Amino acid sequence: MNTKKRAAFAVRSLFAGLLVVVAFAGVSAIAQQQPQFVPQAEDPDNFPAGPGRDDAFYACAGCHAFRLVANQGLTRERWNETINYMTERHGMPKLEGKDRELILNYLAKTYPPKQEQNRQFQNPFLKQ
Amino acid sequence: MKKRERSLEELYRDDPERADALLYNRKTGTSRRGFLGGAGVAAMGAMVGGTIPFSQNMPAGFVPAAFAQATPPAPPEKKGPQLLDFPGKDKNLVVLGDRPLVAETPESLLDDDTTPTAKFFIRNNGNPPATVAAPDTWKLAIDGEVNKPLEISLGDLKKNYKPQTLRMVLECGGNGRGFFSPTARGNQWNNGGAGCAEWTGVSLADVLKTAGVKPSGVYTANYGADAHLSGDPKQLTLSRGVRMAKAMEPQSLLVWAMNGKPLENVHGGPLRLIIPGWAGSVSHKWVTKITIRDKEHDGPGMLGTNYRVPINPMVPGAKEDPKNFRILESMLVRSIITSPANGSKLAAGTRELKLRGASWAGDLTVKQVEVSVDFGQTWVRVNLNPPKNKFDWQRWTANVKVPSDGYYEVWAKATDQNGKAQPHVAANWNPQGYGSNPFHRVAVLIG
Ligand code: HEC
Repeated sequence: MNTKKRAAFAVRSLFAGLLVVVAFAGVSAIAQQQPQFVPQAEDPDNFPAGPGRDDAFYACAGCHAFRLVANQGLTRERWNETINYMTERHGMPKLEGKDRELILNYLAKTYPPKQEQNRQFQNPFLKQ
Repeated sequence: MKKRERSLEELYRDDPERADALLYNRKTGTSRRGFLGGAGVAAMGAMVGGTIPFSQNMPAGFVPAAFAQATPPAPPEKKGPQLLDFPGKDKNLVVLGDRPLVAETPESLLDDDTTPTAKFFIRNNGNPPATVAAPDTWKLAIDGEVNKPLEISLGDLKKNYKPQTLRMVLECGGNGRGFFSPTARGNQWNNGGAGCAEWTGVSLADVLKTAGVKPSGVYTANYGADAHLSGDPKQLTLSRGVRMAKAMEPQSLLVWAMNGKPLENVHGGPLRLIIPGWAGSVSHKWVTKITIRDKEHDGPGMLGTNYRVPINPMVPGAKEDPKNFRILESMLVRSIITSPANGSKLAAGTRELKLRGASWAGDLTVKQVEVSVDFGQTWVRVNLNPPKNKFDWQRWTANVKVPSDGYYEVWAKATDQNGKAQPHVAANWNPQGYGSNPFHRVAVLIG
């Protein structure tokens, strides 16, 4: 952004800020009758460390919880397709080059197909 | 351990420009957005508990006041399932995802004849619209291949058409997905993406009759008011539809009340579709428009492997052939054991298990349910109730003898009216995991 645009932007920021705050007051008043759900905060530290972890987190947690990603167990090929799917179906900015490689490596390594399905039948009497 | 200040809220609070850059400007200058029209708005909206109006005008890096004040909730629990904490909802629902909100009902909580609203599963695909102060002003449009396009308020729907109340199963298309091996992509449901409530509304067919569907009208395209998770107003969360014959079934309803109370926002209120027997995603929540089309609908959620199953069975986990897929229409036959709960301990000397459960089969009825306490070596038929009306579930009971103390698994298997039974393992694997309906298993320990 050039300086001229920045200046115009600063003025609009203030205006938009006021609008948003006013609008918020309205929303929260109604929300008291029928509440909306507040999701838990997440940060990259909630997920297994490794190269590309933070990049994957910031690329994937903007729209939905990163946990949606972390709950999956997919092959590298399926992760690769999932990244394309996010762009084609949901408008995620294209991930390319080194960024893509880094993120794909992290996902494929950290969340491979699960041996023991997380939700399949588990004997409730054996403490894990 | 020192916690790094890097949750999305913290990022925005400490250095909004950088947060913005991290989330939206990862590549180069090319995708720089002057205004935060994208994902961040939705994300922040979700975190502060509401959609952010005027997000179009929201400058990059700007943090709304309410958002800046929000104290970040506790970090996610590492062990065990996350239980739902939401006013009006049972505390034992299991959160499969909280952004968007997806919560499932453990099978043992589906033990009521009619599923109370507090126990009913939640599946959001986007960010729900804000609660409406005057529900009767909610508008529904009907257009496309009709003689007389309509726009009708909820108030007029209630006044001008004959309301009816039906108890019907609503089931998520992905119910049972967690049983697939290898893992299929999506929310890992057990059997609890389903419930059976009393829905009050008017028949969609009656309203379509007023609009007058032309002979060229063959498919519906349904639209709801929820916002795409990216916050991009040009993107649709989901737009699915059904063949005209299904839309015209008398039980396909425009619904404003659930279990005798106005439909809650979290369940699609003030107005939603209930198109029973098919994947829940065609029963659009917060419904605003139904366009009648002259061909199969191709909206988001209709194509590729979305809500589709293989025509010829594919190798589980392999790459799919997109031509080998058809729309998942009717859901498959399923039964659940609602009592005892998995993991129940029974008194030493117990020699009879008193079982209760439910079963349903999409568009079909259930012919029989059998249970086994010996890993399928012998089966016992249950007492199966008829449905109250079409698309109601069928409750069942059974008393089954056990020879000794020890570890038992109860298995339940339902068979639909066409003779198709539930398989032992999830069958017909597909990448997004639809149509998984293996036997329900519950373990009990006697003594
Ligand atoms: C522009 C928004 C956006 C971004 C960024 C994004 N996603 Fe998604 N993603 C979505 C939406 C919308 C859904 C559907 C959510 C739902 O229906 O519950 C989704 C669903 C998913 C699912 C669930 C599976 C399915 O088939 O629906 C996975 C897995 C996933 N995303 C992975 C990723 C990964 C990995 C990234 C980062 C590389 C990512 N997403 C980034 C929008 C996004």
